[in-house]
Amino acid sequence: MSLYHTAQNIEASALGQTIRESTWLFPAIESTHLLALALLGGSILIMSFSILGWGLKTPVADLYRSAHRYLNAAVIVLLITGVLLGISEPVKLYGRQAFWVKMISLAIALLVTYFVFNPLVRRGASGLGLRSVTVLTMAAWLLVAMAGRWIGFS
Amino acid sequence: MLEGLVTKLADTPWSIALHESLYMYAITESTHVMSIMLFVGTIAMVDLRLLGVSYTKVPVSQMLSKILPWTIAGFALLVITGSMLFLAIPIRTYHSIWFRLKCLMIVIAAINIAVFTFRVERDKAAWDLGPVPGKSKICAVISLSAWACVIVFGRLIAYNWFDCDSITSPTMAELTGCPLDPG
Repeated sequence: MSLYHTAQNIEASALGQTIRESTWLFPAIESTHLLALALLGGSILIMSFSILGWGLKTPVADLYRSAHRYLNAAVIVLLITGVLLGISEPVKLYGRQAFWVKMISLAIALLVTYFVFNPLVRRGASGLGLRSVTVLTMAAWLLVAMAGRWIGFS
Repeated sequence: MLEGLVTKLADTPWSIALHESLYMYAITESTHVMSIMLFVGTIAMVDLRLLGVSYTKVPVSQMLSKILPWTIAGFALLVITGSMLFLAIPIRTYHSIWFRLKCLMIVIAAINIAVFTFRVERDKAAWDLGPVPGKSKICAVISLSAWACVIVFGRLIAYNWFDCDSITSPTMAELTGCPLDPG
């Protein structure tokens, strides 16, 4: 079965239909997605600004103790609401370049955040390596947000 | 008077160019969304500190002096891109109930910021690292709720449920400034 057929099957599913046909569900899920995006931005940026020397003087490992809770909560809500939005219109998404740009940058953002950025911060690392990873993490998430909004236009 | 101004705005070449552009509108809208991460994201972290639930090792004074400049930068980006989005679709946005509610929430958030700046944070030296007073927590809750509403109402402007051509109740006609359709 091709990916396109899978998309058609998901689109025909009961959940996909329910979200698509409801007046309020899609906007409500979309708004929750945006609220979680703001939380994600805040938790990443408060650590990033500090690492880059443009923010708080508190050791980043201390900031991480609070920030990672909001980061995790935001990522979980974003993934759940994102999947729900996707289920309602997978055939449209399949044909949109912006969607694939978002998925690739999302994969990069998640991998870099959870396998490189977070472990380095937890360990109290510093230096050029951490600063480069920080810039990459910020750029990846910004691209995810930008490409995400772009899906609605392309 | 406002109505006339908005109608004039819609006839300007700037408005038409933005409205008809292939990429400029999308770039503006995407930048608006990215700026939310900077603005609401940083203000939410400050609010969580003022609530006393997070970043308790960071002095309140440092949170305000080091993070709020970023919040202000985010706000500037949002005002610029937001004005461009309004300029692109002035008349419909002016009548949108969601846009009006969004503006109301921004006013509430602004009053809250004024109260915090001129009243609440005055004696912050006394609670810089200690337990946060109730007045600070109240401001934080108002701020978090108001900005969350601003995001949600902003997103809903895109939906046409209450556009002028579907207004049937006198109350909604009053609230949106739309003419009441006799038919």
